[in-house]
Amino acid sequence: MVKFKKIISLFLIFVMLFTMTSCSTPGEKSEPAASNEPSNEVNNEQSNVSTSEQTEKKVLRYSLTADAPTLDPQLMNSIPSSTVGYHIYEGLMRNHIGEILPGMAEKYEISDDGKTYTFHLRDALWSDGVAIKAQDYEYAIKRLVDPATASDYSFLVTALIKNAGDINSGKMPVDELGVKALDEKTLTIELNNPTGYFLSMLSMSQLCPVRQDVVEKYGKDYAADAEKNVYSGPFIVKDWKHEDRIILEKNPNYWNKDEIKLDEVHILTVSDPMTALAMYEEGELDFVHVPAEVLKNYEDQIIYYNDGANDFIKLNMDGTSELENRNLRLALNYALNREDYVLLSSQGLYQPNTRYVLPQVNGVEKNYSEEYPYEAFPVNGDTEKAKEYLAEAMKELGVTDPLKIELELLTTDQERTRIEAEVLQSQLQTALGITINIRQVPYKQRLEMESKHEFEMVVTGWVPDYPDPMSYLELWPTGSPYNHGSYSSEAYDGFISEALSNTDPKERMDALFNAEKTLLEDGGIIPLQLRRNAMLLNPKVKGFETYFVGINFDYIFADIVE
Amino acid sequence: MFKYILKRLFISLLTILVLVTIVFILVRLMPGDPFSSDKLTPEIRLNLERYYGFDKPLIIQYITYIKNLLIGDFGYSMKYVNQSVNSIIADSFPYSFDLGMRGLSISISLGIVLGLIAALNRGKSLDYVSIIIAIIGTSVPDFIIGGLLQYFFGIKWGMFPVAQYKGLEYTVLPSIALGFYTLAMVSRLMRASMLEVVQQDYIKTAKSKGISKFRITYKHQIRNAIMPVVTVLGPTVASVLTGTFVIESIFAIPGMGKYYVQSVQNLDYTLILGMTVFYGAFLVIANMIVDILYGMIDPRIRIAGR
Repeated sequence: MVKFKKIISLFLIFVMLFTMTSCSTPGEKSEPAASNEPSNEVNNEQSNVSTSEQTEKKVLRYSLTADAPTLDPQLMNSIPSSTVGYHIYEGLMRNHIGEILPGMAEKYEISDDGKTYTFHLRDALWSDGVAIKAQDYEYAIKRLVDPATASDYSFLVTALIKNAGDINSGKMPVDELGVKALDEKTLTIELNNPTGYFLSMLSMSQLCPVRQDVVEKYGKDYAADAEKNVYSGPFIVKDWKHEDRIILEKNPNYWNKDEIKLDEVHILTVSDPMTALAMYEEGELDFVHVPAEVLKNYEDQIIYYNDGANDFIKLNMDGTSELENRNLRLALNYALNREDYVLLSSQGLYQPNTRYVLPQVNGVEKNYSEEYPYEAFPVNGDTEKAKEYLAEAMKELGVTDPLKIELELLTTDQERTRIEAEVLQSQLQTALGITINIRQVPYKQRLEMESKHEFEMVVTGWVPDYPDPMSYLELWPTGSPYNHGSYSSEAYDGFISEALSNTDPKERMDALFNAEKTLLEDGGIIPLQLRRNAMLLNPKVKGFETYFVGINFDYIFADIVE
Repeated sequence: MFKYILKRLFISLLTILVLVTIVFILVRLMPGDPFSSDKLTPEIRLNLERYYGFDKPLIIQYITYIKNLLIGDFGYSMKYVNQSVNSIIADSFPYSFDLGMRGLSISISLGIVLGLIAALNRGKSLDYVSIIIAIIGTSVPDFIIGGLLQYFFGIKWGMFPVAQYKGLEYTVLPSIALGFYTLAMVSRLMRASMLEVVQQDYIKTAKSKGISKFRITYKHQIRNAIMPVVTVLGPTVASVLTGTFVIESIFAIPGMGKYYVQSVQNLDYTLILGMTVFYGAFLVIANMIVDILYGMIDPRIRIAGR
């Protein structure tokens, strides 16, 4: 009896403890040891809103649906990571929404054959006060390529920098890499081919410097927390609570600090988009994405931007299905009404696309689609033409009943992709009378099936790694590791190798356009849509830019104006 | 008692080992692998496989994993590459635990009271109120309850913060949303078992002995009726304290539940295993505590040696 009372009273104490105590919330404890300010986040934000007399901090606040998986520059493999990386690491050059600005390199020279770049570094410091040296860049790029690092983004340079491919596959020692620090302020990089877009890649985090002593000090834990890292960019990571928030603070040692207006950036992880929207409405965020379902409620305030994602259907042409037949592939392409497709599958948030290369990438002087306008297939489709191609295909395949042509459309198991697949299925079946079977699998399984060529048609996509048509067109040369559809065309391969070696920008771009046309005239893929995001932005925030290569947001020069 | 606990502890360890082995095999059988990505080339895949030791036979990988596990090392996540599974659990578990404790203390205490009131007022309006609450709690999914609470108390009336977990006022809505289901379950169980106990002969005996109504309820009825509630508490406590994906997503709380679900989507082998072992250990311990509590509450079930 006594014991029972004890249990009950223990239980009650327990209840009291956890409902009454307020200071035990985990979010409140362990403020970063690095910062001197004792105030916690709640107070920070309140003081931000209130009109206190002291000079107010300029704080940009936004949220991401997922935290940055890593902030180790060479191991980054996702947009959330590299968007933060862009703001905390300084590349040799800075690609500011397509404009190439000087970064750590004050000036540079390119050799006559266009293959050797020499960079002259400015005097600048790491966030801990140590001088930034050319050796830090050499170490970083070698670290990226070194097979022991096992960076999945080493593909960025394996075909680009001299010997990088052989080093990455273990055939050559790392020291043979075409990246050399001649002295503390001079760095040379040798490329395999003259590559016009190389400068624009240099602000990618993967090519940004790291300090050997810091990396070796922390080993596998390098960059795992705010204080286990040093920073070279406009901001430093002041605090990082995983899956909760990343707090960036202006870097007092940044070489260009006078141009940086923001004092802090708060990047919260809010996985539910509706929650993020509610927080924006409450004034807790300065920027938010609007989910497609509620677009209508915000029509007048929405700002649209393309994030570079370009969706298309890969077709397997390795001879295991009827898709080896070019006329059938063209029939599929002409049968689709892409305008209806985006209206039905994304409420018109995404844009119909009738070509392959992302229109926003650079041409010679303007952007690619302005210089090379092209519509491979009518955006509303052409059922007549589709039927003609189908009839031709059936003759070649020896099929009399179109229903006998049965194709499997592979896609992931999400709700959005299911709807997309169903719209495609219905359009193709109605226009052509063939049979389309949908197969939904988990994302990782789709990727694996794709890479093993185990599909007939798969809804997939590509985001560019540099703002050049080649970022898309390098997928389809014969034998390319990304050529999962086994496309093979002598003409296409010819145009690509011409583009790789030709140093004349116009001739090179012509060759790339010809390659794109060849691919589409062969029906090598089925273009579908360009993904677009709808965002709301606090009007007080100026200079918040979006971009479509490697990062989504660029706010280094952003400001909060009352 | 001590011998019994020792025996239970041994069985628990064995259970966890079996669990690790099964999960270790099952994750490898899932289609796809953690390295798959849009831009992966065969050469880079080889580098990754070598880095993670996937080039070695599965049995060697298993032995290595168990060896590390014995010294408490869960390894590094394959998605959050610089973070050890230990640090991910250490970071995220306190949030889930804190939230879970708040949710549980609300739901268990209120649930028992609600069940009692219902049983003691059987067939009266208070009973129906409690039944309605219980039905809503069990049948409305937590994402709807969470969403409604967030909309009305957070956005519309501005009484509590919409999301995040940064202080007492932030914990209110998610704790209620999280505890609602357990509350409903506990109150239903309590009501049913109270009604059963009331029919028992010993209650009649007590009444005929002239013991006051309060004493009968407090000493004889509650004590016997609470057993089924204690039984379900083990697994419930374990699952609530280790995080719930939905509530954590809606209220943007960096707890374990989110990692759990995402690790499976990402096929993050080490994180899946680490989380499962942690959860498994938690469940086993919670069940053990329940068994010990049994003996304390009901001397008839006092187990083994004395």
